[in-house]
Amino acid sequence: MNITIDGKSCQCEKGEYILQIARRNGIIIPTLCHHDGFPGQGSCRLCIVEVNEGSGPKVVVSCVYPVSKECVVFTNSEKIRKQRGMILTLLQKRAPESEEIKAFCKMYGAPEIDRFVKVDNSKCILCGLCVKACTELSVGAISTINRGITKEIATPYHEPSSVCVGCGSCAYVCPTGAIAIEETDETRTIWGKTFHLVHCTSCGSVIGTEEELACAAQKAGHEPDTLCGPCRKKELAKAFRHTYGEIPAE
Amino acid sequence: MKTIRVCCGTGCLANGSRLVAEEFEKKLKELKADAQVECEVKRTGCNGFCENGPLVTIMPEEIAYYHVKPENVEEIIEKTILNGEPVEKLLYKNDQGQRVTSQSENPFYAPQKKIALRNIGKIAPCSVEDYKASGGYEALKKALAMTPEEIIAEINLSGLRGRGGAGFPTGRKWESAACYDVTPKYVACNGDEGDPGAFMDRSILEGDPHSVLEGMAICALAIGAEEGFLYIRDEYSLAVNNIKEAIRAAEAAGILGDDILGSGKKLKLQVVRGGGAFVCGESTALMASVEGRVGEPRAKYIRSVQKGLWEKPTVLNNVETLANVPYIILHGGANYASVGTEKSKGTKVFALVGKVKRTGLVEVPMGATLRHLIFDIGGGIQNDRPFKAVQTGGPSGGCIPDSMLDLPVDFDTLKEYGAMMGSGGMIVMDDRSCMVEVARYYVQFLCGESCGKCTPCREGLKQMLAILTDICEGKGKIEDLDLLEELGEMMQDASLCALGKSAPNPVLTTLKYFRNEYEAHILEHRCPAGVCTKLTSFAIDPEKCKGCTACAKACPAGAISGELKTPHHIDKTICISCGSCREACRFGAVMTEGRDA
Repeated sequence: MNITIDGKSCQCEKGEYILQIARRNGIIIPTLCHHDGFPGQGSCRLCIVEVNEGSGPKVVVSCVYPVSKECVVFTNSEKIRKQRGMILTLLQKRAPESEEIKAFCKMYGAPEIDRFVKVDNSKCILCGLCVKACTELSVGAISTINRGITKEIATPYHEPSSVCVGCGSCAYVCPTGAIAIEETDETRTIWGKTFHLVHCTSCGSVIGTEEELACAAQKAGHEPDTLCGPCRKKELAKAFRHTYGEIPAE
Repeated sequence: MKTIRVCCGTGCLANGSRLVAEEFEKKLKELKADAQVECEVKRTGCNGFCENGPLVTIMPEEIAYYHVKPENVEEIIEKTILNGEPVEKLLYKNDQGQRVTSQSENPFYAPQKKIALRNIGKIAPCSVEDYKASGGYEALKKALAMTPEEIIAEINLSGLRGRGGAGFPTGRKWESAACYDVTPKYVACNGDEGDPGAFMDRSILEGDPHSVLEGMAICALAIGAEEGFLYIRDEYSLAVNNIKEAIRAAEAAGILGDDILGSGKKLKLQVVRGGGAFVCGESTALMASVEGRVGEPRAKYIRSVQKGLWEKPTVLNNVETLANVPYIILHGGANYASVGTEKSKGTKVFALVGKVKRTGLVEVPMGATLRHLIFDIGGGIQNDRPFKAVQTGGPSGGCIPDSMLDLPVDFDTLKEYGAMMGSGGMIVMDDRSCMVEVARYYVQFLCGESCGKCTPCREGLKQMLAILTDICEGKGKIEDLDLLEELGEMMQDASLCALGKSAPNPVLTTLKYFRNEYEAHILEHRCPAGVCTKLTSFAIDPEKCKGCTACAKACPAGAISGELKTPHHIDKTICISCGSCREACRFGAVMTEGRDA
């Protein structure tokens, strides 16, 4: 089937999300809480678009709105620009330290509203992507706590988590770089807990924390890795060479 | 055989009705030793007229007593039980000042039509025998002989719509869930009633739990579910206990469990206690909570009838909706549809509270006007003060001014005016309620009760609260009003769930219908209702003051001085603007003024 996004006819399948279709067709819709690895958050609301399925336009969130019939989508109508600007202004009051939010505000012409109070001094916009990554990839060491305007992301009781393996997935997916992660040659500190780093036995580069490797090994059902990614490939190549022999040069 | 029905709903229990019931039992036991009295004491659910509790009704004479205390018991037994005469002083006084004997003569009960509340106050809540004696579980028997399609057709014919507030057609919901060929499917009951001042569902869960269980069983037959959950907020301890007891009783009687009434069909019901989050009344947040996850909603572009609990088809109905179901199956959809308006069928239970003379739970046909509810059933405004507004639908609803009192209350009409019927909370306000403060109160409530997941709701409410607090403290600017509207419109469109989408309603409706009050706060630094303490001071009109000293006695700050029978005076340097003097004065001598006046 076909839908029209900003005047462009786009081919798609029933059930695909509007954001997906738009991106495939080179139409940019801004997002913060969306990550291809962990879709379906729908919390930042930056990716709102107007959809008309025949019964008049309505505002929906493109990252989780599945296409069910032919429709016309506007990603940048006057209404969307205004509401997206307001959302960005609100986010800037929440996370005034975030360079990403500042850049978005500039790019999408978010209004300066002095009347609004500053909510926090951090970079965190509470999108919840870190929690999702931790839950799905690792161990569920962090969660949102409280609700409403006092909501935050934290470890239980704000104490270093006993189950955190220091993998850093949370910091990796964070759209605003709000999760502090400190590394020396030997240690990594995150969420108030310091971990020993394991180095590749071949080349010496960092391959992760002891706990992280043990956790991954347990999930995969084999011994913890001792090699980094590239060295593991090299070892594998050796094994192939042994089995199949050298590829003869032309 | 006489029956003494002692109301043991939460309101009456708080007023000491258990002691009354115990006293009856004790006195009757003594009496039985030397006389032939056939009489039983029945502890019933809530009669809905809680402020006049404890309520006692003597059957079969239908003599209804109010404000009964243990010391009245002896007289009731002597006069009413033994001699059939009423105890005058415990009867209800109607608007003309006459004492009325039965509930049907009481102006609070007379205009009501009870369907959802049909058994409450009459039966012992958890007893299967009592419930059966009033026609209970007959509908389930009938449904077992029907096909799922026939059950759904009957519900569709009745026009029943979800009583939780959204008003989605119940039959259509069941139909959608029934058409998925997936197992397992689930049936769930939403008992997470959270609107301030609302207690319809609590009353049903406490007073007639079997009607909800029967409704769920019929739904389970219609959609093909064998497992169900009742999500009830933990604060409703009596409701949780009664539902659990009713499930046990129904299972023991072979009505629920592995073999429903010998049909071979199964339904296992389980109670899940909610932790007290308002947002868990939202369907997808409720399901997340049942599954043991954080109570946050998800986008509902894929509905729960397709992917609900554990991604399986789930029908979630509100308590009141389910209580209507057995009635519809038993009496037919057409019978039910003969009550109500064209698009809103049947009756609706309202929690009528606030500044009305008679507060309580009322059930009336859909389409009754606000005026009928407030002035006929509610008896008008306390102390005959002027009516200002009625807040309907809790934090998601709006404030409706007196010019709209003749609107019919149903699912659709109030929405056109920015308010909503919602789940049936109805808070009546008089001229001493400040509409800016009301809006601020609801926004503050939601700031704590929003789940905080999406930006518009979490951040929008936070900024709204800051602006509204400023206005209440005299620090508002006139441009704030446009900003509030702009913010509100964005929240309505862009929020994730119905909580956020409807959160601005109290602000937007008060801005629409009571803008002059906002302007008075901002431009004149004055709270017309005399509520916002930073903008209000009180003074005594020496012409009207009789020197009764009532105000001086009521003043917690000791700011009022004056001799008996001479006009009193308020020292504004000590006054904390609490308004206690104004409430205490019977002569209307306490005037409100601006702070700077």
